[in-house]
Amino acid sequence: MKQFLLLSLLVWMGTIPSATAQSKINVTGKVTSKGDGQALPGVSIIEKGTQNGTTTNGSGDYQLAVANGATLVFSFVGLTSKEVAVGNAGVVNVVMEDDLQNLNEVVVTGYKAERRADLTGAVAVVKLDEVRSMPAANVMQNLQGRVPGVYIQTDGSPGAAATVQIRGQGTLNASNTGPLYVIDGVPTTEGLQTVNQNDIESIQVLKDASSASIYGSRAGNGVIIVTTKQAKKGVSRVDFTAYATAQQYQSKLRVLNTQERGRVFWQAAINDGLTPTSANYQFQSHLEANGQPVLDNVIVPEYLDAAKTMRSADTRWFDEISRTGIIQSYNLNLSNGGERGNMLFSLNYFNHDGIILGTNLNRMIARINSDYSFLNGKLKVGENFMFTKSRQTEIPSADVLNLALIQQPIVPVHTIDGGWGGPSSGMSDRQNPVRLIEDNKQNHTYLGRIFGNAFIDLDIIRGLHFRTNIGVDYTLTSLRSMYKAYTSGFLSDPTNRVANTDNFYGNWVWQNTLNYNQTFGKNRLEVLAGMEQIQYTSQIYWASRQNFALQNPDYMYLDAGSGNKDNGGSGGAYSLLSFFGKVNYAYADKYLAAFTIRRDGSSRFGQANRYGVFPALSLGWRISDEAFVKDHVSFLTDLKLRVGWGQTGNQNIANNAIFALYAADYGIDPTWTEDSGTAYDITGANTGSLPSGFRRTQLGNANLKWETLTQTNVGLDFGLFNNKLSGTFDYYIKHTTDILVQPPFLGVVGEGGGRWVNGASLQNKGIELQLGYQDRIGNVTYSLSGNVATYRNKVLTLPAEVVNSYGGNGTTDNILGRSVNSIYGYVADGLFQNQAEVDAAGQQPGKGVGRIRYKDLNGDGRIDASDRTWIGLTDPKYTYGLNASASYKGFDVALFFQGVQGNTVNNTNKIMTDFASLFAGTNYGARTLQAWSPTNTGSSIPALTLTDNNNEGRLSTYFIESGSYLKLRNVQVGYTLPVALVQKAKMQRARVYVQAQNFLLARPAGPAHAFTGVDPETPNANYPMPATYTAGINFSF
Amino acid sequence: MKTIKYGLLTAVLMTGSLACQDTLDVNPKAVISGNDLNTPENIEKMCVAAYSALGNDHYTAPFTLWPYGNLRSGDAYKGGAGTADIAEYHFFETFAFIRTDLGPADEIWYRFYVSISRANDALRRLNAISETDFPNKKVRQAEMRFLRGHNYFDLKILFNRIPYIDETVAVEDYPTISNVALTSDQVWDKIAADFEVGTGDLPLTQPEVGRVNQIAAKAYLAKTLLYQAYKQDESYNVTGIDQTKLARVVELTGEVIASGQYSLFDDFAKNFLPEYDNGKESIFSIQRSIDDGTPKGRLDWSSALNYPMNGEYGCCGFHLPSQNLINAFKTDQNGLPMFEDYNKADITTPADFLANAVDPRVDHTAVIPGHPYKYKPNFIFRTEWARAPEIYGATASIKETVAYDSPAFRKVAPFMSSSKNSVLIRYADVLLWRAEALIELGRQDEALPLINQIRQRAANSTGLLKDASGNPTSTYRLGLYQPGVNCAWSQDYARQALRWERRLELAMEGFRFFDLVRWGIAAEYLNTYFAVEKTKREYLKVGHFTKNRDEYLPIPLNQVNFSKGLYKQNSGF
Repeated sequence: MKQFLLLSLLVWMGTIPSATAQSKINVTGKVTSKGDGQALPGVSIIEKGTQNGTTTNGSGDYQLAVANGATLVFSFVGLTSKEVAVGNAGVVNVVMEDDLQNLNEVVVTGYKAERRADLTGAVAVVKLDEVRSMPAANVMQNLQGRVPGVYIQTDGSPGAAATVQIRGQGTLNASNTGPLYVIDGVPTTEGLQTVNQNDIESIQVLKDASSASIYGSRAGNGVIIVTTKQAKKGVSRVDFTAYATAQQYQSKLRVLNTQERGRVFWQAAINDGLTPTSANYQFQSHLEANGQPVLDNVIVPEYLDAAKTMRSADTRWFDEISRTGIIQSYNLNLSNGGERGNMLFSLNYFNHDGIILGTNLNRMIARINSDYSFLNGKLKVGENFMFTKSRQTEIPSADVLNLALIQQPIVPVHTIDGGWGGPSSGMSDRQNPVRLIEDNKQNHTYLGRIFGNAFIDLDIIRGLHFRTNIGVDYTLTSLRSMYKAYTSGFLSDPTNRVANTDNFYGNWVWQNTLNYNQTFGKNRLEVLAGMEQIQYTSQIYWASRQNFALQNPDYMYLDAGSGNKDNGGSGGAYSLLSFFGKVNYAYADKYLAAFTIRRDGSSRFGQANRYGVFPALSLGWRISDEAFVKDHVSFLTDLKLRVGWGQTGNQNIANNAIFALYAADYGIDPTWTEDSGTAYDITGANTGSLPSGFRRTQLGNANLKWETLTQTNVGLDFGLFNNKLSGTFDYYIKHTTDILVQPPFLGVVGEGGGRWVNGASLQNKGIELQLGYQDRIGNVTYSLSGNVATYRNKVLTLPAEVVNSYGGNGTTDNILGRSVNSIYGYVADGLFQNQAEVDAAGQQPGKGVGRIRYKDLNGDGRIDASDRTWIGLTDPKYTYGLNASASYKGFDVALFFQGVQGNTVNNTNKIMTDFASLFAGTNYGARTLQAWSPTNTGSSIPALTLTDNNNEGRLSTYFIESGSYLKLRNVQVGYTLPVALVQKAKMQRARVYVQAQNFLLARPAGPAHAFTGVDPETPNANYPMPATYTAGINFSF
Repeated sequence: MKTIKYGLLTAVLMTGSLACQDTLDVNPKAVISGNDLNTPENIEKMCVAAYSALGNDHYTAPFTLWPYGNLRSGDAYKGGAGTADIAEYHFFETFAFIRTDLGPADEIWYRFYVSISRANDALRRLNAISETDFPNKKVRQAEMRFLRGHNYFDLKILFNRIPYIDETVAVEDYPTISNVALTSDQVWDKIAADFEVGTGDLPLTQPEVGRVNQIAAKAYLAKTLLYQAYKQDESYNVTGIDQTKLARVVELTGEVIASGQYSLFDDFAKNFLPEYDNGKESIFSIQRSIDDGTPKGRLDWSSALNYPMNGEYGCCGFHLPSQNLINAFKTDQNGLPMFEDYNKADITTPADFLANAVDPRVDHTAVIPGHPYKYKPNFIFRTEWARAPEIYGATASIKETVAYDSPAFRKVAPFMSSSKNSVLIRYADVLLWRAEALIELGRQDEALPLINQIRQRAANSTGLLKDASGNPTSTYRLGLYQPGVNCAWSQDYARQALRWERRLELAMEGFRFFDLVRWGIAAEYLNTYFAVEKTKREYLKVGHFTKNRDEYLPIPLNQVNFSKGLYKQNSGF
């Protein structure tokens, strides 16, 4: 803390030169855009070298009293700033041009704003206007493919999570690879799913360590900085946006119908040499002259059950569980900027009925951002607050999707008396997916989140700012799960139950920073010093009760139950304390340097290693400003070389990882896992309260320390032909050391033998390229942009005891030197076509004609565990995005393609779509109709059988398929109504648009391992990505 | 003046930011340190926690050992939805595709060591406290050692070479202890030593029935010595039988019998009905409970997959008696087992069970379509209740299940379970150990009444085996061995009779495979079984027992790796 006291003292002793009074003149004028000649509202106008300024009104007009001989600076996001000397003119009209490179754009990078031109780290500025009108509950979903090096995976569910990974997987704890989000200065790891995308002014991604290091702790996975909109001085405005979206489930898996299911079963039994006997089907067949049985008819019984309540059906389960999805969104934004203060209020309503029946997210977000100036503008106080309320319907969609695949089509949705259809004899114990939806649709998770900050910003002396900022981020979720009693075929649960779960969690953060900017001749110096403190707490509790007389949401509260009660709860806390500083230096705007250092303390580490120090250094050289370039290479408008090195940290371990602990554990629900409880019926009473004890939960490790990521980045920013063509290229090496892992431990250690250690190291290397071209032909403005990114992940070291825990044969072959996302298994080498091939093959238990042949990799004549190798990689070889847009007068068109290339997917759905042998009594995919047979030898699908003697469910290349795809993510056509027309309606701006998303999917056809499912982006039971169609309006008043 | 004002303001704001360093001291929540658990009250609780581990088994790692003792013995098929439904159990059953990295083997290894770690934890605390502060010290120490001995026993018969760790070893030193640090025989000695303590320090009866007593310790010691008596070489060939150990088995089992605390139920069925939990035949059981304040009850989760697929139950059709096992219950005209010809014809229908004479125990053990399920004359098991009859046929195991209308039954969707205790040592087993020891000692004549005692009780156990009209479900004919009348009671004949009796009496109770290995006949027996059974069950075509390998599970590869190669793999893998 010493440094702060010292600084305060310096401040105290400093002096401020007092301003001398001068005579003022009144300037008026109009600002228009060069592109379409239209008036520009909201342009900021500042008298150079003062705080004096204003903004243009709705018709682009302004008025300002300035000193005689003053210079006015006109600026607007996306346009080149313009300086105009007033002289003694009373009227100054200005035409502003598009700033193609946005070099003067100001971006927030780390507790401060910087000119984009001065950046020396790898910072991506997201073009939000391209995605703003795309329907999504989480803006990150819309950024898929738009920022090179930012790999976003999501699905089509309402409120879908967006898994964001910046520059590869940097750590081993897979649940912890997401970036740190900094929203208006408040850090959070919660993501943007509760943030209104209409409220967002800008998003920057700090990809390399030299830019992210200032956020030290938790910045290891990169930082995404979000700034919300503020009211603009002198502008009073009302914006209204609305859209409606229809979603279509285009990618339904093709499964067998009732007749086909019977045929497949019959054929499988015949292939096994058995007489086909089924509990549900009867078969009529005859023998051909050659002795081959031929199926004539599949007879379905009228009823499936003895009680004659379930009539045989031909249910299309995928149709029964799906619908047309609808998204509605309404957004109102009121802003008012005044002389002494600005205020913005926004309200957003979003409702998404997903394409799976019952799935829904309903959300409202309110925001108030305001700031006020005191002491002649030297003291500014303000706040940004957001309140989110959402309601999510808890449909187990992965189960539902899996059941739609495997539930037999002969099962009816309902019995004849309106009850639930369900499995009958000879079927597996699989639930009716429609029942799952209906019985869960009243279960909602309510979420309330308050997020925001309040700040005081003090201009101490010219160039020296002090800012203190308090942020809060608290979430409360509340879920009431009603479990209804049911009967569905032979499945039933007679006990109904309610379980309530409330979870409160969040943190406050307090930051204090001092910013000092000064220019000495050609030297420009910016200094930042600060501290940050974070305290996080969480508390969760749940309670449940059984036996309710009525099964409706109005009745099923805990008090109304008459049976068993149970409850539980826990809490958690951690705190962080950090000090940081940054120095930016520029000489002649040509030579740039930035140095940051951050010292982070975390309660999660022991006394000895509580603090980690994370330094970073980056340099930039604006080559295009050198005379030898300027004078000789005229087409080169801009060229900047950036080199950065830095370290960031990760503390993502359990809050109490350093301690050796025991816990009281009376008992858990052992339905899916072994009980860890300590209660025992030692008296033989068989029931009632039991004596119980404690169990060890973990071993401690007082020596834990920060996981550290070191990253080197080399980048080049360039602009050619007056910035018509511009781009950015980056190369990086990321090296993570002391990775925090909780390795599995020797079984003999027993319960609670886990402990966290600093163990492994990983490397990610990659390149990113972004190119853009924009120009104008007559009245048509167009732009093309594209990006491509690639990385290679490699595990460098692992502790000896876990070196075999990430795949490999367990002994000699391990993950070292490979990506952590590698898959290990057998190599399927086609199907045995005839007995000669079977006989010629080595010893493979269960081999036979039509069966999968596995490769004898070690050539020892037998197929066993030692014949496995590395067969897949879920990392894409590269990811890319392509954007094209054009505008003509009021019309605008945009197209966006996104793709992933070279990754593999473990298509485990094939276990059900390709085999009748792995799980009996379920339905199978229509692919089984194309199975290999002596008359269909071209098939790659193994011959039908009822018993899997060949162990074909084993992980092999049979299931490993290409995950590559190219999608037309978005097509949009918009029309901005002419100003004259709009103004008649007392509006400033009006736009209508239509767009379509995800309605074209291309994937490589023909390769040996082409994806056989429907959409490689959402394989297996992932919530499918629908095609969507949207119409929307934006009005500004 | 202004300068001073701003400066002051800054100083005030700055002072506030002098955050305190101890904000980083955050105490863990809702947990306790090991040192806080050394009070007498808490030590008692730690002993309860060690007992509790007995019941923390699961269908993925059942301490009733059905996947290990029954599926591997030719007595039971895996069942379920097909061979891929818990594929590792299928691998156990067929011995094909056995690998060193099969999850369930690693899981059950771990679960037994979890139980051992709880016993060792309690023992460490017990050793440190004085008898003045903790009057029950000796009894609890003996109980904990019994529990430890039990868990090591099961590990020993599953994995053979296992690391042996007692409460005196510090956790940091665990990685230095190899699974071959002790010889196989030394491990047996350690296990026996744990039970030996209980034969002295435990009281004859305990005030709480769930606690082990002196008789249980004697019984388990007898079992341990019986297993140890059969000497195995490195490749698991049985090379001889230790007569001294057998003599001790006879002595110990004699003491169990003489205590008079335990005896056979009058009806065999009572062993499999929850209302007779902790009855006179149960010497050591896992206590199960229901409506006990835990979320679902501390039920018999090990059997949760073993109910049929009908409306009253609904899941999951695992653990099905094999045709071979059912055939083994056929009896000849004397009511004796058909040692040679039992498997020549199958009995599969109610008519077959009437046309052929059978041992009544078959209808306590297995159910076929058309027979009452679990002693309920109007609750008839049907082919439609089977899950994958085309693969596994249509039978079900009923010893471990309970009737759907029993108060002990509980649906724990999607599974079924009950609070019926799992008996690990029952009195009949003790009688048969004694008979086995006597026979191997050449005292087969003394074994005869023991075996006949078992058979007589079986013959008497037809009271619940009735159809709806009160007629016997099957034709029951069960005779006693009468040397000179219906048999010649030589040592060889007696051995055969004993082994057959163990199979029928204890079928589906988790012991059979370990009996076969103890006797040194697993390979021959199982390959003979596969040769015939595969003609009835297509999936058994890949079945093959590899002698000198499959007698034990491999040491889980994970454990070999976590030990950094210190653990040595079992022979043959």
